[in-house]
Amino acid sequence: MRRYTRLYWEFAKSHMKVMMEYRIDFLIGVASVMLEQFASIFFVKVVFDHIEQINGWSFYEILFIYGIAATGRSIHQIFFDNLWTLGWQYIRPGKLDRLLIRPVNPLFHVVADRLHQDGFGQLIIGLIILGTAIPQLDLVWGAAEIAMLVIMIISSGLIFVAINLFFATFSFWMIDSLPIVWAVFNLSDFARYPLTIYHKGIRMFLTWIIPYGFTAFYPAAYFIDKSGYKEFALWTPVAAIVCCVLAYAFWNRGLKAFASTGS
Amino acid sequence: MITVENLKKEYKLVKRDPGLKGAMKSLFNRKYETKHAVKGIDFTIEQGETVGYIGSNGAGKSTTIKMLTGILTPTSGKVTVNGLVPYENRQKNAVNIGAVFGQRTQLFWDIPVRESYNLLKHIYEIPEQEYQETIEMFTEVLNLESLLGIPVRQLSLGQKMRCELAAAFLHRPKVVYLDEPTIGLDIAVKVKIRKFIKEMNQRWGTTVLLTTHDMQDIEEICDRIIIIDGGTILYDGGLDEIKKQFGQKRVIHFELADKEKFELPSALNGQVEVLPNEEETKISLSFDHEAVKSSFVISEMMSMYEIGDLNIADPKIETIVEDLYNKQEQGEEHEKVLANS
Ligand SMILES: Nc1ncnc2c1ncn2[C@@H]1O[C@H](COP(=O)(O)OP(=O)(O)OP(=O)(O)O)[C@@H](O)[C@H]1O
Ligand SMILES: [Mg+2]
Repeated sequence: MRRYTRLYWEFAKSHMKVMMEYRIDFLIGVASVMLEQFASIFFVKVVFDHIEQINGWSFYEILFIYGIAATGRSIHQIFFDNLWTLGWQYIRPGKLDRLLIRPVNPLFHVVADRLHQDGFGQLIIGLIILGTAIPQLDLVWGAAEIAMLVIMIISSGLIFVAINLFFATFSFWMIDSLPIVWAVFNLSDFARYPLTIYHKGIRMFLTWIIPYGFTAFYPAAYFIDKSGYKEFALWTPVAAIVCCVLAYAFWNRGLKAFASTGS
Repeated sequence: MITVENLKKEYKLVKRDPGLKGAMKSLFNRKYETKHAVKGIDFTIEQGETVGYIGSNGAGKSTTIKMLTGILTPTSGKVTVNGLVPYENRQKNAVNIGAVFGQRTQLFWDIPVRESYNLLKHIYEIPEQEYQETIEMFTEVLNLESLLGIPVRQLSLGQKMRCELAAAFLHRPKVVYLDEPTIGLDIAVKVKIRKFIKEMNQRWGTTVLLTTHDMQDIEEICDRIIIIDGGTILYDGGLDEIKKQFGQKRVIHFELADKEKFELPSALNGQVEVLPNEEETKISLSFDHEAVKSSFVISEMMSMYEIGDLNIADPKIETIVEDLYNKQEQGEEHEKVLANS
């Protein structure tokens, strides 16, 4: 574990050097993500200018959910963005071979190979949104609440990672599972609104099948009493761990299949 | 060091009829075809040996190397490298091996070569002192000085390959697998790379397993060759032995004043073969030197024609290997004929 932390730091240092060399790209990447996020928040704002509440949720409560989603997603985007490229950058061109003959965990290597600048834009936006929403909520913030928020955000990030890893792993059997990963990832947009506004079937789906519900709505619901999900929300870190374990087990199966087919 | 026993690898391929209809059909009703890439091979390689692993395209060379490195799991058979089974202890085995795979880069694409090496230092946990010494030596032998600051994607093929090679030897591995390390390179770079490999082998006793289609690589680097064809081993032995065993063929090139008029002297009929020669004034004769002496061929030629110059070619490993392949093919055809009749 210590070895991997040190190793990650070495990888990150190299990436940061490259990023600083291409400062303009870095800034454009960060800015464009921020712009994209502002646009979708603006849309929500426009809706709320006409109605006061959606299903009992106020604008700032929805903003809070949004903020958790954005921050959680930024963890995924900054550190684990390379999972998107598993099929076309690693498996198909044989680059995975080279990782397999190094004395490190190949998944670690794939992940450490990239540090994504756009994710920093996502992180900044997420923090701004949280900073705007939180003072407007009727909440008392102590150390315990802050610690809980951090745990929830990390769990949210891990669920994004686990779901992407799971579907990216299909690339071991297909030419490239990227379209599937994309399609699934787009479902996470649903989870940025209170799940209670949806039909029961969709709610179940986003909780038990593709658990994006745990990336934003449930973590937020922990802090909002009237949601009625305060207790259920405590399962969020557990859900995150379970998802990671399942996804990692599936990845190992994929690797095994790769070792016997060589493609 | 490396032992391989009855090693086999079969690939399963989806068999598909041509066209869209065939593609649709295979969607629902998959038929598999088995490709026997490696059909039960055996060999052992000792620490410090330099072995050329050669064979025609699709013979199974890369498949074997992938099994030795642990990337591929064999269908059956046994492999151990340094006492470890590579595909079961892939990461542990990785500490002891280095590899170059043809034109695929092992280095980190976007970052300067020096940074790449630095990351490898951390990955392999090379002690700082040892690392500095190694880099210094490689820089000198491979002329890397001017390349270290450049990102890999901006290097030419030859420059990249030199950097690759250094990366493969950086952690002083016990074994290095080189799958076509000289493909697409010019002579000057090839020479440098061969010299480097030889030097590493002598200095550190690194075991080298090399595949190539350039027989000059083999002649200059390897003490032993293993020839594989169609997934089975045709020959395994010393480079000198194979020359003795199969290298009775001699070729002499003659420069004639008038090539048009040339006709094989009757004394040489049936024993000497005229090889095609592009050059306008030259003629090449090939013969078995056990059956006919070179001096006899030369004196016969001198007595009939005006010879400007002549040149006796060494038995080249290239021609020997070509002969072996041909013999194998003829053998197969012979078998087919027998099977059909
Ligand atoms: N991943 C794979 N799936 C299916 N068949 C494969 C795969 N890799 C190789 N083969 C087949 O196995 C056989 C051996 O291939 P291999 O790559 O080992 O040959 P090689 O000796 O390295 O050839 P070359 O000199 O062209 O590199 C070939 O017939 C090839 O088509
Ligand atoms: Mg090959």
